[in-house]
Amino acid sequence: MRWLRNIGTGTLSAYTALFFAFIYLPIALIVIYSFNADPVNMMRWSGFTFDWYKQIFGLRNVTSENALYIESTEQLLKAVRNSLTVAAFTTTIATVLGTATALALYRFNFLGKKFYRVLLFAPMLMPDIVLGIALLIFFISVGFSLGITTIVIGQCSFLTSYVFIVVSARLAGMDRTLENASADLGANDWVTFRRIILPQAMPGVIGGALLAFIISMDDLVITYFISGVDTQTLPIFIFGMLRRGIKPEINAIAVMMLLFSFAVASAGLYLRSRRG
Amino acid sequence: MSGATQRQRRYAQLGILLGPVSLFLAIFFLCPLAIMMIYSVLTPGLYGGAEWAFYPDNFGRILGFANPEFEVFDPVYLSIFLRSLRIALTTVAITLVVCYPAAFQVSRLPDRWKTFALFLITLPFFASLIVRLFVWVLILKKTGFANMVLQSLGIISEPADLIYTEGAIILGMVYIFIPFMFLPVYASVEKLDWSLVRASQDLGANGFQTFWRVIFPLTLPGVIGGSIIVFIPALGNFIVPAVLGGAKVMMLGNLIEQQFLSARNWPFGAALAMLVMAAVLFILFFYIRLEGRRGDDAPALR
Repeated sequence: MRWLRNIGTGTLSAYTALFFAFIYLPIALIVIYSFNADPVNMMRWSGFTFDWYKQIFGLRNVTSENALYIESTEQLLKAVRNSLTVAAFTTTIATVLGTATALALYRFNFLGKKFYRVLLFAPMLMPDIVLGIALLIFFISVGFSLGITTIVIGQCSFLTSYVFIVVSARLAGMDRTLENASADLGANDWVTFRRIILPQAMPGVIGGALLAFIISMDDLVITYFISGVDTQTLPIFIFGMLRRGIKPEINAIAVMMLLFSFAVASAGLYLRSRRG
Repeated sequence: MSGATQRQRRYAQLGILLGPVSLFLAIFFLCPLAIMMIYSVLTPGLYGGAEWAFYPDNFGRILGFANPEFEVFDPVYLSIFLRSLRIALTTVAITLVVCYPAAFQVSRLPDRWKTFALFLITLPFFASLIVRLFVWVLILKKTGFANMVLQSLGIISEPADLIYTEGAIILGMVYIFIPFMFLPVYASVEKLDWSLVRASQDLGANGFQTFWRVIFPLTLPGVIGGSIIVFIPALGNFIVPAVLGGAKVMMLGNLIEQQFLSARNWPFGAALAMLVMAAVLFILFFYIRLEGRRGDDAPALR
């Protein structure tokens, strides 16, 4: 019977290998083909090149194909700038709001606590498209002009929840005795907050902020509806490229984005594992 | 210090902490949802927007009780709704079947490898969604990787239509939603009490009975949680069908987008969005009732 079980575990291991292959082979594929020299058929290998990377960093002017390339590099940079601006503002606002809410629900018992919990879960469970068009209708009916501001507001409306959840999880695991000790030793609320609660909550706050930053950089659906015609963020730029027809430099852009998000995510996960 | 002032101070602190977020979510979350609800029963305006008159035919147009004077009931909308449901449910089923055995395998790895495996599964969640979908365009398109491989192996002679099909949409969704399903399922599997499994074997249950009567029920919370977390974004998804389904295979998400960005029938689009929201609320309601009856906490949705 033992050999039967061995076959069983063997298949299971093989299966797990396949599972990881399914997740990572497509990503490997795009990395490899971002160095493919063939300008027409992106999947036909015709030599190794750094050209597409040079192009997206503006180090190489393309004269052979058409002038659109240069323009799209400029648009790409603008999209990156927009994405970073939006992410900077949303991360700040969502982190402050989410942390404050988590602290309030942790420190105080009050009527309607349950309501706040539901209210903060709701934006995460709401399908993106519903929130996106609700915000679009809202902004248009109250006469906001669509742009960076509306994107920031729209993203904050659901990113606050993510920060709230990460910070709450951190606070829930905190040692309450320290707070009591601090109060017993005569510290007032503010000092207790500054010296005891905040330092302990900090890994959660940083984790929440990183999560908000990554999701903000990546958000497509909600941003798509409330960005208006002039403002493109990076995901929307790529979405547009996919709809218009793809050009080889998109591989290089994709690889840079993957590297960026993997770096931020690894940093976040590393911080979390270290500070426990 | 008297009790009254202390209480006042607590209220002030609470106000400072909760005031801004309450205001923000009231204006930019609750208010938009309320306006959308109202929009869904307004008369479509001539050039987009809406006129202030009650008008139930937006829903009628989808569900079949439209006043024929204004709107025609077209079964195409219902069929798009059903197709979206079908695609979302298929995605849930496939991600579950894919993740379930993998979760068991990962839970049995030595600790160091386990951490690494979990890291590898979580990582794609942080990678750009549009990039991960774009990869599948490269693989599935007519001159893409899959056709190239299949042709060079001699399995097919002509490039097959892989992209712009329902299958392509499902594949893309499975790919992006795997971490969503894996983590809740894994959390349940990790908590599984193996002594119960051994007890069941000692009592003479065969492999299938042990699985069906012991292992599966014990991991059910993770299965249900993962299914809900995958189902919700899958149902109203419009990015995946837009990228991998093209104009051929339309889902609710694309239909809604169309109403807002090209057809300019906002009330109809709002009514469709209400339908998506209703489906989601319906499922969440049952989930909460189920969890409440079982009496344990909802592990997956935390």
